Amino acid sequence: MKRSSSAVSNNSRDVSRRQFLQAAGGGAAGLAGILAAGTPPALARSRELTFLTIASYVPDTDKELKRQFEEWGAQNGVKVRLDIIAHLQLVSKKAAEVQARSGHDLTALGPGLGDADLYYEYLVDVDDVAHEVGEKNGGWLNEADYVVRGRWKLLPWWLAPFPIAYRTDVLQQVGEPVPDTWEGWLRVSKKAKALGHPFGTAISHTGDANTTLLSIMWSYGASYVAKDGKTITINSPQTRQAMEFVRRLYTEAMEPEVLAWDDASNNRCLNAGKCFAIHNPISAYESAKAAKVKLPGSDRDIADVIDHVHTPRGPVDRKVTGGYWCIGIWSFSKNIDLAKDFLRYHFEPKNQYRWVDAGHGFNTPFLASMAKHPVYQSSRQYRFMPDIAKASVPPSWPGPATAASQQALDLYIIPDMFAQYVVGKLTMDQAIAWAEKELREIYTGRRRRV
Amino acid sequence: MSRSTRGPSAWSNRIRRVFTLYLPVGPFVVFALFPLYFMVVTSLKTDAELYDVRAVPYLIRHGMTFAHYRLLSQETYFWNWFGNSLLVSVVATAVSVVISVLAAYPLARLRFRGAEAFGVSIFITYLVPPSLLFLPLSTVVNRLGLSDTLWALIVTYPTFLVPFCTWLLMGYFRTVPQEIEECAMIDGCNRLQAMTRILLPMAIPGIICATLFAFTLSWNEFLYSLVFVSPAELKTMTVGVFSELIRGDIYYWGGLMAGATIGSLPIVLAYVFFLDYYVSGLTAGAVK
Repeated sequence: MKRSSSAVSNNSRDVSRRQFLQAAGGGAAGLAGILAAGTPPALARSRELTFLTIASYVPDTDKELKRQFEEWGAQNGVKVRLDIIAHLQLVSKKAAEVQARSGHDLTALGPGLGDADLYYEYLVDVDDVAHEVGEKNGGWLNEADYVVRGRWKLLPWWLAPFPIAYRTDVLQQVGEPVPDTWEGWLRVSKKAKALGHPFGTAISHTGDANTTLLSIMWSYGASYVAKDGKTITINSPQTRQAMEFVRRLYTEAMEPEVLAWDDASNNRCLNAGKCFAIHNPISAYESAKAAKVKLPGSDRDIADVIDHVHTPRGPVDRKVTGGYWCIGIWSFSKNIDLAKDFLRYHFEPKNQYRWVDAGHGFNTPFLASMAKHPVYQSSRQYRFMPDIAKASVPPSWPGPATAASQQALDLYIIPDMFAQYVVGKLTMDQAIAWAEKELREIYTGRRRRV
Repeated sequence: MSRSTRGPSAWSNRIRRVFTLYLPVGPFVVFALFPLYFMVVTSLKTDAELYDVRAVPYLIRHGMTFAHYRLLSQETYFWNWFGNSLLVSVVATAVSVVISVLAAYPLARLRFRGAEAFGVSIFITYLVPPSLLFLPLSTVVNRLGLSDTLWALIVTYPTFLVPFCTWLLMGYFRTVPQEIEECAMIDGCNRLQAMTRILLPMAIPGIICATLFAFTLSWNEFLYSLVFVSPAELKTMTVGVFSELIRGDIYYWGGLMAGATIGSLPIVLAYVFFLDYYVSGLTAGAVK
């Protein structure tokens, strides 16, 4: 009974099983055809160059980049599209574009130079562009650092120098001169903390923690990998000295909140009038100035009592790293020549000059001529930026930038090693042994794959 | 007179309600509403107050400002993003619920070989995290030529909506007595008519519940939207706000909270209008 009632269709609007199967089969065949062809349905085939970049910390930088991109497009009859995403989103976006072998023509890469190794096969060689750009701009700052496996797979674009940003009024209260060493900053910060103004640097899973803790390690002569990019060197007396220094800095001059900080926390701490000093690019100062943030309990702008000085030196060296943002061209781009042409245009000295100007010196190129840019003399806040850029090295230093070095950064091995020691979870030897094991696994695994 | 006779009784009723209803529920209400309150308060504070460590974070003491809402409206594509989110969520939800109804019905009603395994496999599909799925899906989206269009999202969102809605609806359909459909079929309905004229009207709470869930999941989706769509004017709200208002180590907290406040309104409205259906849809089958 059920069978007969369901089988008989009395309604003309009913779709028979045969009709349904025919329609569904046709649709599936069409979809399979598109998938098999590997090309999208015919679309307008005009020349279009697309560029994926990260939102700059200083918004005017993006506006100037867009202006240059559109200007170049108009001059060459090329439609251009600049897509801007938050830097935290770039990892997923790059992975998806490589997986699909499709996406933008030009892409921002970083932070760090590890993408050149990680995506080696998917990035176009840009040796020719790099040499032209270097010649026109008085050379690259540290050319050897940017070449991966003997090739230029990306152009180093900009870094945000890491000075010490400190409160001049608090330093006056403490009655000390401006320190120039990590030990000096610890000595002064202890006194500042007693006044309610601690030092602030993240010891957590954040880019700032990688930067500052690596800087301290290098300053004490320590490193985590040797120049050969294979030998793990973290287990050394120098690392022990650096760890002991950070423990003292944490217990005597900082507050436990630094263990949970993100990239924005130190900016907030300084601009809220709490922190005495932070190790950070000038973004905190720029945002305080833009928002006219007041000194607590006063009508005075807090930006008026912030100053920036050179990244501190240690007993052995003065080294620091930074964002190391780069540009590359995907090998699956259909507009490789156009992309190279735009890179030549953007890296023209006059365009770099305007771009640095728009960023108020925040985005410092890796080009020797730009160290003389007048923006660095336009305000005493920027006076140390060229020197800090010169003291900057890639995060993998002294080892080469590899996929493994990128992974060591992404997994925050160095901050975790320090954090576990300073909170007393592990002894110094245990923390170093833990980091050594992690790094060895990362580098061994990566070497096998490469 | 009547007032005096009703007085003590009404008073004791009120007291009882306070102790048995309002006091126990109160903390949960405060807990649930606190994020919304904090969001709204933060979106109305000046930047200077947001940075002031001595300010009470839960109160506005230095005057309200709509500057963050103006920033969203005038200096970003916020309303484009809002429209995109709405369009994608509505279409993806509609498509997914239709497919889910058609999938859930046979799995709940018909007996065929592998029905149970098929149902479980649909649920397992839902458990595969989008952070893994986006990689193969990006190839599919590219081959379909849908990259950088809203169609990319309308096509991919059902990959997580359909399994979830199907599973939810299967459970709901099973609570509707099969005998009613059998009676209809004895009276001349075919299977499709029994489903559309008998089962679906009785399953409205379940369908609304699935629709609400699907809409919420679509509205909040982040990863696919980030990966498959790049042009600024085509972003959905979740990605657009994040891209424009987090610049490195500078978070535009006021703007972020303003975006979150506006963004939560459609969901709040949807739940307000359909709350009864939602609750009955969720609790169906709890009591036999």
